[in-house]
Amino acid sequence: MAEPASGSIRARGRCLCGAVSFTVSGPLRDVVVCHCGQCQRNHGGPGNYTSAAWSDIALSGEDRLRWFQSSAKARRGFCAECGSSLFWEPAGEARVSINVGTLEGPTGLKTVRRIYVAEKPDWDEVYDGLETLPGSMRS
Amino acid sequence: MSANDPVLARGRCLCGAVTYAVHGKLREQLSVCHCHMCRRQHGGPGIYTSAPKADVEIDGGGALRWYESSPGIKRGFCAACGSSLFWTADNYANIDIALGSLDSAAGLALSHHIFVAHKGDYYEIAGDLPKYPDNRPEAT
Repeated sequence: MAEPASGSIRARGRCLCGAVSFTVSGPLRDVVVCHCGQCQRNHGGPGNYTSAAWSDIALSGEDRLRWFQSSAKARRGFCAECGSSLFWEPAGEARVSINVGTLEGPTGLKTVRRIYVAEKPDWDEVYDGLETLPGSMRS
Repeated sequence: MSANDPVLARGRCLCGAVTYAVHGKLREQLSVCHCHMCRRQHGGPGIYTSAPKADVEIDGGGALRWYESSPGIKRGFCAACGSSLFWTADNYANIDIALGSLDSAAGLALSHHIFVAHKGDYYEIAGDLPKYPDNRPEAT
């Protein structure tokens, strides 16, 4: 991501140590919680993601952002200094999912859906009445 | 810990570079931390079990890195895949272990929520588990 975002800033975010930060100058999707096995390993629990178009995101500290190719379909971006989970990027798409916890509040977002609940472990109780899907949103 | 003590739990990061074995019992009560530091680092509330430092044998594979998020408080993660794994403090006898990194969490159950005054505006905490606005009062 090299092009500066244009328009007014919708949200600001950063990792825990602040080495990587970003602004979003376009709409943010409401929050989807992913219970898949990969998110569990990576986050220590379900992953809570909003998403935005890359073209609306301006990154700072990109040299501290590391990418891990977690499957053929996606890679995960994290801060090399503090380990914060920042992004989940599906291959071949112009959008990126953003760890909503990295955003400065208030976010104005709401959690709308839980996905991959078929992979959730026993301790992970889903009891809040949100829509749940056994797999992804596209299957 | 003695090397002869049985391994009762194992875990690893997403890429497998960092693995660990726990030579003892894990705390069965799982704490869910809603502070902004956990939410930033984990990508969600921090959900932790715990074990005495002496019981936790970590093979960092050259990838384990510790970030000092507050004075004396350290968060361990895998520098190869970014998995959030551990939380500990200089004056704390235990290592808290991010639940999702365990190979099996059988027998463990969510117990209480902490730092709920600092939760994000994008979710509600459902269920009837105890909720503490800040840290949990000293467990008895």
